[in-house]
Amino acid sequence: MTGSDIRRRAILGAGIAAGALAALPRRLGAQSQNLVVSTFPGTWNEAHREILAPYFRKQTGASVTQTILLATDQVTRLQAAQAGKNPPPFDVSILDEGPLLDAVKAGVLEKFPVDKSEHFKDLLPPFQDEWGPKISIQVIGIGYNPKKIKTPPKSWDDLWNPAYKGRVGLTALNSSLGMAFMVDLARVRGGSETAIEPAFKALRELLPNVGAISANLGAHAALFQQEQVDIAPYNFNFVQTLKEKGVDVEFVKPQTGAAAWRTSLHIVKGATLPDLALKYIDGHIAPEVQSEMQKSPFFVIPTNRKVSIGERVAKNIAATPDDFGKLVWQDWSKINQQRGEWIERFNREIKL
Amino acid sequence: MVGRRFLQLFALAEWQLILPLGLFFLAFFLAPLVVLVVLSFQTEISLGRFTGVHYGKFLGDAFSLGILWDTMVLGVEVTMVCALFGIPLAWISARASPRFQPVLLFLVVLPILTSVVVRTFAWIVILGRQGVMNKTLIWLGLVDEPLRLLFSEFGVVMVLAQVQMPLMVLPVLTTMQRLDPNLIDASAALGAGQWRTFLRVVLPLSLPGIVAGAILVFAACVTAFVTQTLIGGARLVYMPLYIYQQAIGANNWPFAAAISVVFLVCVLFAIYLLSLVGRASRGYVHA
Amino acid sequence: MPRALRLDLDALSFNGAIGFVGAVAVFFLVAPTIIVVLTSFTSSAALRFPPDGYSLRWYLALVDADQMQRAALTSLVVASLATAGSVVLGATAALGLASVRGRWMRAIDALFMSPLLLPALAFGFAGLIFFNLVGYGLSLPTLIIGHVVVCVPFVVRTTLAALTQLDPALIEASRSLGAGWFYTVRRVTLPIIARGVGAGAFLAFMASFDNVPVSLFLSDARTEVLPIHLWEIIETNLDVRTAAASGVLIVFTVVVMVVAERFAGLSKQLR
Repeated sequence: MTGSDIRRRAILGAGIAAGALAALPRRLGAQSQNLVVSTFPGTWNEAHREILAPYFRKQTGASVTQTILLATDQVTRLQAAQAGKNPPPFDVSILDEGPLLDAVKAGVLEKFPVDKSEHFKDLLPPFQDEWGPKISIQVIGIGYNPKKIKTPPKSWDDLWNPAYKGRVGLTALNSSLGMAFMVDLARVRGGSETAIEPAFKALRELLPNVGAISANLGAHAALFQQEQVDIAPYNFNFVQTLKEKGVDVEFVKPQTGAAAWRTSLHIVKGATLPDLALKYIDGHIAPEVQSEMQKSPFFVIPTNRKVSIGERVAKNIAATPDDFGKLVWQDWSKINQQRGEWIERFNREIKL
Repeated sequence: MVGRRFLQLFALAEWQLILPLGLFFLAFFLAPLVVLVVLSFQTEISLGRFTGVHYGKFLGDAFSLGILWDTMVLGVEVTMVCALFGIPLAWISARASPRFQPVLLFLVVLPILTSVVVRTFAWIVILGRQGVMNKTLIWLGLVDEPLRLLFSEFGVVMVLAQVQMPLMVLPVLTTMQRLDPNLIDASAALGAGQWRTFLRVVLPLSLPGIVAGAILVFAACVTAFVTQTLIGGARLVYMPLYIYQQAIGANNWPFAAAISVVFLVCVLFAIYLLSLVGRASRGYVHA
Repeated sequence: MPRALRLDLDALSFNGAIGFVGAVAVFFLVAPTIIVVLTSFTSSAALRFPPDGYSLRWYLALVDADQMQRAALTSLVVASLATAGSVVLGATAALGLASVRGRWMRAIDALFMSPLLLPALAFGFAGLIFFNLVGYGLSLPTLIIGHVVVCVPFVVRTTLAALTQLDPALIEASRSLGAGWFYTVRRVTLPIIARGVGAGAFLAFMASFDNVPVSLFLSDARTEVLPIHLWEIIETNLDVRTAAASGVLIVFTVVVMVVAERFAGLSKQLR
């Protein structure tokens, strides 16, 4: 092969490559628009990917790119983008009650255009909010492995049972699960959102029983999947999803009451595609979507009055509005004030 | 005529060909690093006043220093494991028959080219409580209960060693292949056994390659973000995760910049030390 | 013990030990890849090895994984453009470096190689700060620029290596026959070092496609690349689809390696 042959091949190859690359953007552009949304790990991103995204695509023809972040991280990134005068990294934000307060204070959200929304008025009153509709409630309780633990636990105190030495799991405080657990623990041990010491004392006493402290919700699921722990505080939804995947895990409400908080969707201020964002959020509160999500394996608790409560939700959480009222609602504005301090303390004191 | 003159002007200074990349590096490599250093002395995201408060915070905090120490120790541990397993493998490859050698080379190179996420993910499947490794250990009767391999330092070292081993094998292999076979024959002729020949002749002569491999492995594994976080979990915090948490998680860019600069300096210093060993060994080899 | 026997024992123990250690090393190098490929064919939703049953369902599930496909496409585009940039900048720089001697050459060579040794994570973060302060923000071009910085060393290294093998007599002959400098480079130098440049381009492509530390900071949700997407999935749910994606990536890597070996003689360049 002479030098000129090699050169000719190279130039030909480069030409083809350049042509292909030039053609690509046109193909990409010919595709539909793409909405970037945030979602939570675990049940949520799967439910959004498998139910909400296809519904949204049918309604609008647009595709969805998910970015998986905890609520607190979402607020941080939105604040960072705003400070740097950059467009926000996503157009739709899913937030739990605590981080929502922070986000409103930081001014990173748009008020929800209620009149433009199709399904907002169908939500039960506690779930209507000017910043965005509440799409579900998350309830925490005890997740346990029924094959290893034969008698179902009854309350948080069961975690301290010496029989479970090294088999208890905990999770870090950056997720709502971790935070809500600690505040509820404080409550049953005589404290509250403003008196957290009983919770820290109890956790220190729990340490000999603790087998692993997961840093995030994905790792928390892995603890049960890999049978690294047998009992841990956990969300109702996440336990159901794992169970449907064949993992040995059950959920039980503590007899002292189950802590709960509301989760909501919001349009981010400065969103690139605000109309699509609205349609996406609207899709999440549509009756068809909510009833699909209530089915296996997600068991997302619905908030639209047109959706009836399913069997598993009724059995485990609440069958009537009264039962919903009996759930333990925490004061997140007080929690938010001390979050940073508690996280640092947790990282230093609660270590294996 | 004019054209050729024009080109001849260029011909006078061939070194000018370095300029495009040089200017690119100036703008997009050196400038960002300078900005990083300057930002580490700030309190907010601007380039104005100077303060050493972040360095004080890092260097005075046992938690932060512990992370730095753990990271460096991790690098040393992995480098030693890679040397322990990689040098024999390189020797075998160097002495392998021409039929075997391409196969061995392929097996060694394939891991480096496969995505690091894929390789680390494979280990998650293996190291779990119900994973292959625990099942095998229990079956062999070595342990009664599954060990905690994931989320442990041992697990991180093991995975990093496997992931980075090719970086040790390739330079050592290159050096070993250039060894003068007469030296080995001479050693044997003088009555030295295989062990003696290997330890007294081959290893010292391969030292430049070993040092090169050690530098590559060390540099790669202290900064191996994906492997450290997936296998170590976020309980085992090393420098890369610390930087990421402070930069993206806590949005504290100046502090993250200070941590990055400390990290850079330490890694450069370690590499410098290793290269000194390399230079000394080269003198030894040619003496 | 007679001398011959003593030496045989020595040889035996040495070969045995080295052989054993080497075999363990090869096993550890290869086993994870094989395990993950086998696991990807499982029929259940759990990540278990050995799999409970076999099926192609997870590979079929990849067809619906459009975010993963978008990330893969972005990675391909970024890697191709970053490689193109690296080849242009790196090959010319190597040509220039070859004509410089002594201390200057070593210093500049060290500078161009430094992205390989410095923690790329720190550089990625530095890039994020830099682009933000300059007012440009994150986008596909900034991501590509970041990748070029960490990929160009490969091209420089292999091109320089090929240049050192180039017989200067060929250049002299060409010049003495009246060819201009540019013509000489085009017709004599480039074809000879083409394989070296090709090997460097291959390494640069794989380095960019697989890059995490720079992408971690310079890529956001709108320019998501495949390794970051996979890492995110693994961190949040241990999905078997990741195993299927891994299987595809491994096949892709092997194919690209074989192509590189065929056209650029990769194994010779690495020695």
